[in-house]
Amino acid sequence: MKVLIVGDGARENALAKSLSLESSNEIFALSSYINPGIKEIVDSTKGKYFLGEITPEQVREVISRVNPDMGVIGPEDPLFRGVSDEFRKEGIPAFGASKKNARIEESKVWARWLMWKYEIPGRLRYKAFSTMEEAAKFISEYGGSLAVKPAGQAGGKGVKVIADIQAYLSKDKRQAMAKSVNEIGSYYNKEGEPKIIVEEKVDGPEYTLHVLSDGNTIMPLPLAQDYKNAYQDGIGPETGGMGSVSGPGFLLPFINQDEYDETFEIVKRTVSAVEKETGESYTGVIAGQMMLTGLWGPTVIEYYSRFGDPEASAIIPRIQDFGDLVVRTATGHLSGAKLKVDERPSLVWAVSPLGYPLDRKLASGHRISIDLPKVREIGCDVFFGSVALEGSFLVTKGSRALELVCLGDFEESKRRLLKSMSFIDSDVKLIYRTDIGSTIQEQAEKAEIVRYTYTSRKSRGTLGVSADWSPNGGLW
Amino acid sequence: MAGLIGILAFDKIWNINKFLYYGLIGVQHRGYSKSGVSLLSEEGLIRTTRASVAPEDLEFGELEGWAGIGYAGTLNYPVQGKGISMAVDGVLKDQEKFIEELEKDPIEAVKRAKPTFTFVAITRDGKIIAYRDYLGLKPLSIGGFGFDMAIVSSEMTSMNVIGGELRREVEPGEMVIIDRLNVESVKLFPPEKNYCSIEYIYQARIDSFVDEREIYSLRLRIGERLAEEYPIEADSVVGVPDTAVPFALGYSKKTGIPMDLGFTRTGSPIRTMLASDDFTKVVGIQLKLNPIKPAFFNKRVVLIDDSMVTGTTLKNTVFSLRRLGAKEVHILIGSPKLTSKCPYGVAVPEEKELIAANLPDDEIAKVIGADSIHWLSLEGLYSAIGHRSLCMGCMTGKYPTR
Ligand SMILES: Nc1ncnc2c1ncn2[C@@H]1O[C@H](COP(=O)(O)OP(=O)(O)OP(=O)(O)O)[C@@H](O)[C@H]1O
Repeated sequence: MKVLIVGDGARENALAKSLSLESSNEIFALSSYINPGIKEIVDSTKGKYFLGEITPEQVREVISRVNPDMGVIGPEDPLFRGVSDEFRKEGIPAFGASKKNARIEESKVWARWLMWKYEIPGRLRYKAFSTMEEAAKFISEYGGSLAVKPAGQAGGKGVKVIADIQAYLSKDKRQAMAKSVNEIGSYYNKEGEPKIIVEEKVDGPEYTLHVLSDGNTIMPLPLAQDYKNAYQDGIGPETGGMGSVSGPGFLLPFINQDEYDETFEIVKRTVSAVEKETGESYTGVIAGQMMLTGLWGPTVIEYYSRFGDPEASAIIPRIQDFGDLVVRTATGHLSGAKLKVDERPSLVWAVSPLGYPLDRKLASGHRISIDLPKVREIGCDVFFGSVALEGSFLVTKGSRALELVCLGDFEESKRRLLKSMSFIDSDVKLIYRTDIGSTIQEQAEKAEIVRYTYTSRKSRGTLGVSADWSPNGGLW
Repeated sequence: MAGLIGILAFDKIWNINKFLYYGLIGVQHRGYSKSGVSLLSEEGLIRTTRASVAPEDLEFGELEGWAGIGYAGTLNYPVQGKGISMAVDGVLKDQEKFIEELEKDPIEAVKRAKPTFTFVAITRDGKIIAYRDYLGLKPLSIGGFGFDMAIVSSEMTSMNVIGGELRREVEPGEMVIIDRLNVESVKLFPPEKNYCSIEYIYQARIDSFVDEREIYSLRLRIGERLAEEYPIEADSVVGVPDTAVPFALGYSKKTGIPMDLGFTRTGSPIRTMLASDDFTKVVGIQLKLNPIKPAFFNKRVVLIDDSMVTGTTLKNTVFSLRRLGAKEVHILIGSPKLTSKCPYGVAVPEEKELIAANLPDDEIAKVIGADSIHWLSLEGLYSAIGHRSLCMGCMTGKYPTR
């Protein structure tokens, strides 16, 4: 089977690898630069690598040249632009939400609206604003704790979360927040749509549930958790994720089976709601990026219409014949498929050049080298991200360059990942977080704390009930 | 004895001066006769203000910036070099030389000096450098505030106060270098843990996590140990606020003797042990602690305090309790006897001022006017703390560096 993979990051590398394990598959790829990991797979399966901008036109062009049996779309942006629809228009099955369905991720306002309309549990109070002035006014009026974000997906940029329980600082916090509204608003610019969404702030450990959906059948995957702060020990600005863990089993050590089931229920109901609104069946993957909160228990922070990156690198290697599940999802044959998950947990470290995420220029154009066989020899694997093969060199593109994966208990994996780092060399300082997977105990404590609150709310029938009030703005 | 703090915002839109102000108040229990801050402006200018006031009363004036450090203690910090400003917890003898070297090459400077003090510094090029002494005598922690700031501080209490979160304690001998693009840890010396016993007994705040321990629970255990070592027949247990209250609670839990709140306060808390002259000590105590009559009247009382220096404070207290109708006053001290001066900057007075270094117990009881007086044993302290990697120099005269 000829599979055309669209996208250029570590997630696509992981997807391509899983598909290449079925020996009859030929992997073709379209990326904006040559990803060394994807190239290795394309070459070994006798496929072909296409370079170009990932636009519907370009994809059409490559489809006509490859004539693939199936398309796999990795990143969100092509989904938002209708790239999966291009495949389906030609009658080619695709793994990837349609443009309309991908709106669940693209518009955070639409996602929240949908949750309220369909009364899906785990929803948060929100306000949408079309102008920065209104948003700034609202923020400086309310004293509560808020999350202020671009109204749509902006690639992990621009989110400000401020706890405002310390009244004496609230003026400064609000001022900083109001000041940054202009910046936040600039990340999402779509005609006729709100620019900024403000939500109530919640607290608790975060985790992600990915669910495959073939239009009829849906299948939940093992949980994963990603780590958003850029620097060691969970300090620093927001990134797309500096690492992730998954497992053991289907859960994470701090999420119990009931919470898993409840989370699955939330995503399931979301898929139905989306399909009802758009009239199109949902084919591909959808993920609930969740927080376990005192307000609800499982609470939706946002949805993905694709695999999270670096969550994909933690989940995919744990699933047997994952490539087969991708094919079944795209072709509507998920019903009856078996999901075989490696009990062992996985640990993923992202490696980025100094400069990411605040100074991407500084982080670009550096050489990296890696002794791949040595890394694999000690039982780890590498997925390539924001790094391009230029001639015989690997050159950084400004974001997370590599994702290292290891299966096994966290302590042992950590040792092996540290060893792997010694097989990587660069002319720039590399940033990676060795604390990933080693704060499980703290997360468990956090989870236990919110569990007290939400179970008591549940028994009193007050799940999800909250409000804010200010003298000038009134109640919301 | 000092509280240190350093804050850096990853986004220069923040003006952190209020964060620094409140964060500093969060460690002012560590010392507050002098305080100061240095802030780094967007243009790369460090400006410092200092005064002989508690952090609460420190005027920032026009000072603004996106990164800065703060000091609360008994000395004149921060001190500024050319492109750097630093504040120290502990004893730094040759300030000028050290700052000069620090500015040139922080890692080399610390390697050469092998300091027993802990410091935070801010540089003109936007770095906060924090180093914890290799003996772990002084505490230091690192934390964050959302995606927005990194915070280093003597105690996590200053992180909580501004809404941030403790991530971990900095290891003894570790240097942390924070800038907008990275948080880097450099292990300069292998830790030789000699955690300061005084931190556990009274320096750290009870809502704090310091030197690998929850302070509140540890202080309850000290009270429980006192109960095991000295079970006294009494009607009431009272702890001298603030530090000794958890001791009393632990003692009460263990013995079943009810605890009373024996004192209330006039004015703001002034720690008498740190007060500099005898007059303030005498007036200070009367200003500070007003005994509550029904807690003592017609009762046999166990009164617990955290430490005893000259005994002045306790003498006055016992005197007041008798006047209010206490039938017996037994004194327990939640620490072993303090007998030696601290070379690392903890305010333990000279030997000649320390009553426990000069008189036998029964004489001390006489001076204080108490029916009995006992100190927690060294073994008792070890067991309450749960490890032996301690500096107990002020109790034993044995110091990790001599
Ligand atoms: N309502 C909220 N309450 C508390 N924290 C929140 C809230 N919304 C977002 N956050 C925090 O901000 C982070 C990023 O938010 P969100 O996932 O909505 O943004 P994003 O930029 O789309 O992220 P991603 O890179 O995952 O796509 C979350 O992981 C969470 O830690």
